Amino acid sequence: MGASLPPKEANLFKLIVKSYETKQYKKGLKAAEAILKKFPDHGETLSMKGLTLNCMDRKSEAYELVRLGLKNDVKSHVCWHVYGLLYRSDREYREAIKCYRNALRIDPDNIEILRDLSLLQAQMRDLTGFVETRQQLLTLKPNHRMNWIGFAVANHLCSKYFVAKAVEILEAYEGTLEDDYPPDNERCEHGEMLLYKVLLMHIIHVREKHGLFKELCLLQGIKSVVLISLLEECGFLERALEELHKKEPKIVDKLVSKEQEVSLLVKLGRLEEGANHYKALLAMNPDNYRSILCLLRIPLDFLQGDKFCAAAANYIKPLLTKGVPSLFSDLSPLYDQPGKADILEQLILELEHSISGDGRYPDRTEKEPPSTLLWILFFLAQHYDRRGQYDIALSKIDEAIQHTPTVIDLYSVKSRILKHAGDLVAAASLADEARCMDLADRYINSESVKRMLQADQVALAEKIAVLFTKDGDQHNNLHDMQCMWYELASGESYFRQGDLGRALKKFLAVEKHYADITEDQFDFHSYCLRKMTLRAYVDMLRFQDRLHSHAYFHKAAAGAIRCYLKLYDSPLNSPAEVEDNTSKATQKKKMKKQRKAERAKKEAEEKNEGSSASGTSKSGKRHIKPVDPDPYGEKLLKTDDPLSEATKYLKLLQKNSSDSLETHLLSFEVNMRKQKILLAFQAVKQLLRLDADNPDSHCCLIKFFHKVSSMPAPVSDAEKLVWSVLEAERPSISQLHEKTLSEANKIFLGNHEDSLMHRAAVAEMLYTLDPTKKLEAVKIIEDSSNKIVPTNGALGSVMEWKLKDCIAVHKLLDNVLIDTDAALRWKVRCAEYFPYSIYFEGSRSSAVNNSLNNLDTETPLNGGANGPDIIQSGNAFTSNGKLEAFKNLKI
Amino acid sequence: MEAGDGGVDRVVDSKDLQQQSKAFDKLTDRVEDRQLDSSRAQSAMASIAASAEAEKNAMRLREKELAAVKINAAEVDIIANELELDKKVAERTLREHKGDAVAAIRSLLH
Repeated sequence: MGASLPPKEANLFKLIVKSYETKQYKKGLKAAEAILKKFPDHGETLSMKGLTLNCMDRKSEAYELVRLGLKNDVKSHVCWHVYGLLYRSDREYREAIKCYRNALRIDPDNIEILRDLSLLQAQMRDLTGFVETRQQLLTLKPNHRMNWIGFAVANHLCSKYFVAKAVEILEAYEGTLEDDYPPDNERCEHGEMLLYKVLLMHIIHVREKHGLFKELCLLQGIKSVVLISLLEECGFLERALEELHKKEPKIVDKLVSKEQEVSLLVKLGRLEEGANHYKALLAMNPDNYRSILCLLRIPLDFLQGDKFCAAAANYIKPLLTKGVPSLFSDLSPLYDQPGKADILEQLILELEHSISGDGRYPDRTEKEPPSTLLWILFFLAQHYDRRGQYDIALSKIDEAIQHTPTVIDLYSVKSRILKHAGDLVAAASLADEARCMDLADRYINSESVKRMLQADQVALAEKIAVLFTKDGDQHNNLHDMQCMWYELASGESYFRQGDLGRALKKFLAVEKHYADITEDQFDFHSYCLRKMTLRAYVDMLRFQDRLHSHAYFHKAAAGAIRCYLKLYDSPLNSPAEVEDNTSKATQKKKMKKQRKAERAKKEAEEKNEGSSASGTSKSGKRHIKPVDPDPYGEKLLKTDDPLSEATKYLKLLQKNSSDSLETHLLSFEVNMRKQKILLAFQAVKQLLRLDADNPDSHCCLIKFFHKVSSMPAPVSDAEKLVWSVLEAERPSISQLHEKTLSEANKIFLGNHEDSLMHRAAVAEMLYTLDPTKKLEAVKIIEDSSNKIVPTNGALGSVMEWKLKDCIAVHKLLDNVLIDTDAALRWKVRCAEYFPYSIYFEGSRSSAVNNSLNNLDTETPLNGGANGPDIIQSGNAFTSNGKLEAFKNLKI
Repeated sequence: MEAGDGGVDRVVDSKDLQQQSKAFDKLTDRVEDRQLDSSRAQSAMASIAASAEAEKNAMRLREKELAAVKINAAEVDIIANELELDKKVAERTLREHKGDAVAAIRSLLH
């Protein structure tokens, strides 16, 4: 480190390093320049200066200097180390690791470099490397506590086989402490370390259960409540209960201890006792709302038949009287259990009848307040919506609205019913109406934004959404706040409208959030070891490992892949290219205008920066927002290789959502286009593993082997190898055993004659295998019958076909089988089944009812304050006479 | 709700924010660590060192076995290309399956 410098300069160099570490960059810079005046080519100083500049946001200069410094002094581990640090600050982790390794080659026992390397290895989950580096650190400096802990944690993370090793290491560490006890100021951290050790032991069951429990008891100074939770976690439920009873007099918070007791009893399956304790809780605290609900709600999951009916009645009645809007959501999981939906329907209809008759519940004498009827109707509307009987649902909710027009929840639910029924435009306008009833409610604002995006009214949605964002950069705020639901919904809307560029931008924005979250864990690798919050640290790492399996990421990745697939299938260059070439002159003009606009924008921004820099809410560091160079995603669309871009996201999906059918469907589509036969085959195998009866799996299977059979005989070595693998694998696919593809197709039809989607799949495959059989394929679809679902519902009947499926079949007829007459017939037929659907132009949808109905983006919008005005010009639908009166009531 | 309180909050926020960000900027990674007793540390080291050696030996043996397998370099390329894998992974799998390319691929497809 600056060995070749004379003493004065050597001190200055040390100063640079110290200043860097304590973030006193100006000081460091001065010192560096002082050295460079005398020794302008000193490699290490140049590097350090570069590093300091990097922290002062002068990135390009930083890189130049560091590279120059390295060039001047290639054998200096300092220069390599600094280069690594530079890369790390730009998240180029692989490059950073390379630099560190180079530095270590020159100075293999350098603690600083080893430590930095270990952090990167932890971040990149290079676990074997991590263990090695940590071991090296420990060997070099065994008297540093952190090195012991770090080595133990590394072993734990590396694999479950090394957990025993980790325990050994922790015990060896404990042996180093004086009298086996840490100094007072480390008591808390020591406790944490012990709890971590117990967790490890639980993982490997090294000691028999009894011994482990003894170990736990020896943890002195651990709060009882913590100990009890730990026992619970490790599965020692009985012991936890014992401990709880022992320590009860000492635990001050009686309520908490009672609740913990109940939870333990329930886990142990001692439900009666649990129920009794809840009653005790109630006595202690009659306003404990939560307790009442838990006490009565849990049995509903287990009871059946008449008992269920009685218990449900007891549960529901007080909640209807009280007027709990979330009652339906609360009971919603019961609808998945067979028969319970019917029982509930009978029950509620009975209550409705009774209340609308004489204002009382069937077996009570007190009169119910008028609101009870309202909430009954509200519940029924949601009930019928759930069962797909939209007519009845709408009539119930309209009744409710007539009863009490001022309740916002009613409009929200009506909007939801319309959405399910297929009238997205009416749903959006109704949601907006609800929003206008309470402009300060952010939830309703979000809901109406969501509905607008579903109805493809993107510009309007944006305007409404920014009503709640912070001042300043309104639109970017949604991105900064990682408002992913909004970005996903916008992306999907743009995709539906065919605007691939903007759709891609949105999907990739969501993907970036996940990359940022992954990045955020970096600082914790050193912090958690120091603070000994080891259990939380390990949990955090596990969370990060699973991060990309989150539903939002899945949606974003799937959306991006679909955009790229579309881009590949219909590249922009073909028809648009002609336009491009002829209007080159106008293009140039456009570019000039754009550049001018950007320059003006930048100048305006800088002016704003100047005026606002004088003490408003701007923090110390000046955050210059980079101007987005590609706001409409045009650059993204110009990518040369959309499939390789798609593959990036596909790999993440395959790694993290491997149990999702969609992942493998997308994999199939991408790999078939890339001509990667084996990878496509792998996708088919996964689909068959997950759900061989699914119509999409069947389609991929047939399509794959159809393609393979139409390929020419293998010539090259690669082709021959692929061929032999497929030959070896084919016998394992039972669907194709000793059958031709068309035979397999017929058998699939036979197995699933009654299902619309299966028939559609068979039809598509029939056409794929033999295009002359188009008419036969169409017939298979048209012969499908929409049966009535057998239920014991009291009112009306439920048809089997779902709107989403019928739309898919229509697209199939129109775009794949290309039979416009059949498509039209299908549309007319479905309009009967789905009268509210806009897609099928059903008789009661707003597509038919309002030729004026256009809440499209061009409609003048005055920021939403004049809500009812807009609605009036649009839907005559929503007016049920009361709207006028309601307008006068509005606050 | 939001409109009313907004004004007051903003004034408080900015001062708070400034203080917060100043404090945040001062955060560094520098930490002074306590030293453990050296002699105890050394003996603890020795106890865990022994098991490490045994593991290393086992691994070395396995690596030798794998290196002895005869494989076809062209097949490594084909596997890496068709399955979009790193060459090292392709080579290792091939070695693990004693040079049988079909078997190696089938195992990778699972």
